[in-house]
Amino acid sequence: MATLKPMPAATKISAPFWQALKENKLKIQQCNSCDGWIFFPRNHCSHCLAHDLDWKQVNGDGILYSYTLARIPTMPEFSDEMPQALAVVELAQGVRINTTLIDVAEEDIKIGMAVKPVFDKVTSDGETLLRFTAVNNAGGVSDYVDPLEGLERNESGQVQVPVSNLAALYALADNKFTGWSNTVVVDQELINAFAELSGDDYWLHTDPERAKVESPFKTTIAHGSLVQVLQSRLTIGLPFEITGFKTMVNYGSNRLRFPAPVPASSTIHGRSKVKDISMSHKGVQLTLEMNIHVLGNDKPSVINDLVILYR
Amino acid sequence: MGLAGNAAIVGAAQYKPEKYQTAPQMFHLEQVADLAHKALLDAGLHKDDLDGLVINGPQFHEASVFVPAMAAEYLGIEVNFAEVVDLGGCTAVAQVWRAAAAIEMGLCQAVLCVIPARMAPLAPDEDPAWMAQAMRYGGHSTAFGAPEAEFDLPYGHMGQNTGYAMIAQRYAAQYGYDQAAMAKIAVDQRFNAQYHKDAIFRGKELTIEEVLASRMVADPLHVLEIVMPVAGGAAVIVASKELAARAKKRPAFVTGFGERLSFKSPTYANEMTVTPVAEAAKRAFAMAGLTPQDINAAQIYDCYTITVLLSLEDAGFVPKGEGQRFIKEHNLTWKGDFPLNTHGGQLSFGQAASAGGFSQVIEAFDQISNSAEGRQLEGCDNVFVSGTGGVMSEQGALILQGG
Repeated sequence: MATLKPMPAATKISAPFWQALKENKLKIQQCNSCDGWIFFPRNHCSHCLAHDLDWKQVNGDGILYSYTLARIPTMPEFSDEMPQALAVVELAQGVRINTTLIDVAEEDIKIGMAVKPVFDKVTSDGETLLRFTAVNNAGGVSDYVDPLEGLERNESGQVQVPVSNLAALYALADNKFTGWSNTVVVDQELINAFAELSGDDYWLHTDPERAKVESPFKTTIAHGSLVQVLQSRLTIGLPFEITGFKTMVNYGSNRLRFPAPVPASSTIHGRSKVKDISMSHKGVQLTLEMNIHVLGNDKPSVINDLVILYR
Repeated sequence: MGLAGNAAIVGAAQYKPEKYQTAPQMFHLEQVADLAHKALLDAGLHKDDLDGLVINGPQFHEASVFVPAMAAEYLGIEVNFAEVVDLGGCTAVAQVWRAAAAIEMGLCQAVLCVIPARMAPLAPDEDPAWMAQAMRYGGHSTAFGAPEAEFDLPYGHMGQNTGYAMIAQRYAAQYGYDQAAMAKIAVDQRFNAQYHKDAIFRGKELTIEEVLASRMVADPLHVLEIVMPVAGGAAVIVASKELAARAKKRPAFVTGFGERLSFKSPTYANEMTVTPVAEAAKRAFAMAGLTPQDINAAQIYDCYTITVLLSLEDAGFVPKGEGQRFIKEHNLTWKGDFPLNTHGGQLSFGQAASAGGFSQVIEAFDQISNSAEGRQLEGCDNVFVSGTGGVMSEQGALILQGG
């Protein structure tokens, strides 16, 4: 799924750190040569440069070295955390870590206070960030909360996602296809009507006799752009409905491909998935990948990344 | 070891700070040539005198590699010394000492130090949103394998504001925090800006109450304690003593410098509230044979009020922990007993990206060369200049002295 916030991309060097967090453990590196502790993960010791580091599990006890309460989001995607309690924690081993404090009231935050780790599950597949809380709080594991959970549904069962709920919007971008739509038959009559309307009367589309002999498909095929617009005849059940916007703009397409032909008289159907959600000064941009297939063909005849702007 | 004081700033040019939306758009190469022309006129020198070039590398619009070659070719000069500096807000100070060092080594006689910072015209199919997108993460890298991309961004640590705010919070915990004293830095500098014709906040006076009532961005920093980005750009000419003798204005000799880079994120500093300028200033003063007491004006890099406080302390103008008392006890305006950022500082003059650091360098030159019209200090011979890049990550110090 697309995440609202930037996510760490683990490297070969750092993977043990992130894997440990997933398992609700904190591991940092210690140098076998000079006994120095280091953070962030490296392949060498930043005290003596030796390439002789081992991962050691630590309990995560530390003190608050410094913090600030950001009153303006450092990025719009963090607007659900206001004020952001950005913190630097110094572990008992002396290393410092950039993090955030959770479950500590503003007036209780004091530099030098004792803190302990919270393993915060931020995605449904268990990706974990290391946050900290006051030492007398529960700490431990903070479970993943599905941002779509608890949202209302309309009579068709679509979850109602307010355009202002960024976390829920991002959760929509799960790259999972909907079920198939109804079917539509693309017969020669429809193809001819489109040829007349568009002016594209190339024989490959309109001359069944010649196509029988000369076409690699042994028959006429529908115009790619015809199949593209037939999307309007396909009812695709999206599992959500975006609400609370002022305007919705069809902004065009990021990608339009016609990978497989649609021979005359084929039956087509379609499905879609939310490929991406992004924010820009223009508003919330939803990229809906629309695929149209000939019934039974795994290869799509149309791939169309539709871009819809909400504001 | 160090400089003998045989190189000087002899000329300068600086675009009036303007809002990005209304500033002229020029290719960076054009700006380089324009600023070079103006700075040479200011110096009374000729293009053929130039035989050195120091330029910013990052954010140069027309190239990301081979920037000096492209710029020298565009100018129509050949140089014996070509250098790129990538030190953020410390770049201007760093350019000047590199130029002076190259001149003293005999590599060259006149060096153009330049940072263009107006926007370039958009390409016909360019999306004007690119800049907002590019600035989204501030100075934070998003590259795979960049530690800050992996360990800062997921938590919302990004940009400059919150890093400086955390330094200020730790200072507060260690030494106490007087919001009014911090606001006074911005207020006294705003007073100075009223006397500089190009200052972006000229005509808008400011009170301590207004600073404290302004929006809190990240505790304890109010929006009026944070620099405003503007379009601009600047250049200086650094020349040998022999060429300086031909210059129109009184030269500002570079008699001391220091540079210190300590970290990228202050999280990994040995101690967040001891800033790199401590080491840089110590070296600069020792090289010049001066002490902070000998200084007639301090042009201290001021991206935030906290930067000024820590720089004053760590550069040795006031003992650690006593900066706020010092600020309250002294008049920091150009009319006062401790002239600080006599052009208004970047807080009130405007911060033209990394060229903002030149505003301090050029104000020092203006004061020494008796060109600070309307705000001229009397008998200004010795000026301290600092530069700061990143989040207090890299700092430089210059001692400039009238010849």
